[in-house]
Amino acid sequence: MRRTDRYRYPIILTVLVVLHFTVRSHLGDDRVAPDFLLLALLIYTIRAEPGKSAAAGFIIGLLRDAMTPVSFGAGALAHTLVGFSSSWAKAVFFAEHVFVKGCLFFAGTWLRNLIVLLVSGKLQSSQVAWELLVWSPLQGLTTALVGIVVLWFFRGWLSPRRPGGATLGVSA
Amino acid sequence: MAIGTDRYASRGDTLLFLACVVLSLAALSLPPQWREPLANGLQQSVLAPFIFLQRQTELLTAARTRYDNVVAQRDSSSLAAAFLPELRNENNRLRALLGLSARLGGGYVAAEILHQPEPTNPLSFLVSAGRREGVRPLSAVVSPEGLVGLVASVGEHASVVLSWAHPEFRASAIAQDGSVVGIAAPHGAEGPGVWLLELQGVLYRQQVPPGTVIITSGLGGVFPRGIPIGVVVGPAGEEKGWGRTYLVRPAIHPAELSHVMILTTPRPAGADLRNAFTTPQDRGAPSEVPQ
Repeated sequence: MRRTDRYRYPIILTVLVVLHFTVRSHLGDDRVAPDFLLLALLIYTIRAEPGKSAAAGFIIGLLRDAMTPVSFGAGALAHTLVGFSSSWAKAVFFAEHVFVKGCLFFAGTWLRNLIVLLVSGKLQSSQVAWELLVWSPLQGLTTALVGIVVLWFFRGWLSPRRPGGATLGVSA
Repeated sequence: MAIGTDRYASRGDTLLFLACVVLSLAALSLPPQWREPLANGLQQSVLAPFIFLQRQTELLTAARTRYDNVVAQRDSSSLAAAFLPELRNENNRLRALLGLSARLGGGYVAAEILHQPEPTNPLSFLVSAGRREGVRPLSAVVSPEGLVGLVASVGEHASVVLSWAHPEFRASAIAQDGSVVGIAAPHGAEGPGVWLLELQGVLYRQQVPPGTVIITSGLGGVFPRGIPIGVVVGPAGEEKGWGRTYLVRPAIHPAELSHVMILTTPRPAGADLRNAFTTPQDRGAPSEVPQ
């Protein structure tokens, strides 16, 4: 662990949170535009322990539920499960490759939407189908693309290093 | 922030995870009278700076659009930019909003929609006007095209709007010529971009031809009479019981909107807002609802 990791990660996550509330609404349809908050959570989970990832997911989900209270608690549950699963999967599979992380972002977004839809139970079956087969994959794709760009842009900050100082893995 | 690479879920991680899941389930099972104060409390405390940020961004965008509009009138080189479809739509929408506000004559609050990425966003969303701006629960939310929904709960500077797509939404409806009365309720989706309403409880002996404009009837006291709801596109499946149900293409989809108007002052009994809106017929044949 580098001493500078202590502030580098919070800076990147803060930038993503600010982007979510400023830039996102200008990036097209709500259901397709990248989800910067979820991306921040998923980037956090890449390095954090599963328990802390679940807690971070719960907090983000609960705050989002307060902004879309149609099914209060569904977002908290979805983000908790996604946060924990992402961190756990990253620990088990451990592939420091940008493509794997892109897949993680895509799957995390789709899974979050799936859980929110199932738990909220507010949409009819045809609507759920369209959401899961059309809009959620598109949102997952844009989120994954933005995630890859962020990982590439901050690759010097985010790449894990051995105690001796050499960088592990390939990109990001 | 703990940074580590070689770790799996420890017992502590699992316990923390389970605690979060239990808390999430507890939040899910909260009754509405507890849920709304909790959501309002979060909006006014932790989320307040973020909502403020998003609101300022939306205001900045609107201001910039208006500025572009003025510049476009003076500078012929900017005129080309005004013909970009997105900018033109935004300009038309702002002009229509101004037109609607003039026709409504007062008793309304303009607000920005703070869109969120969740798939349930079209059902319920946050707008940037609250108690301080005069918004009250059950206020009607409209756009120049017609009915958007109603205010479900009100915070200091933000309110939660229940759109017509929400499963619990109902509005007393009537045909524009007064011939048919029913209840407008959400129907669901017909394809990825077309959400429909249905007109329930129409008397069995009454036929409603496609193209009939449906407006709010004013009964019940929530919505004033005359707000366009949509246009009838045909019967909804098999007839059941003593009533007929018709599919209605909504006047406007919430995802299309960036701004709405909230009617804050109760209208006098018998007031008809029909002339304040551009009816779907004015806009030509109903088309697929864009997203």
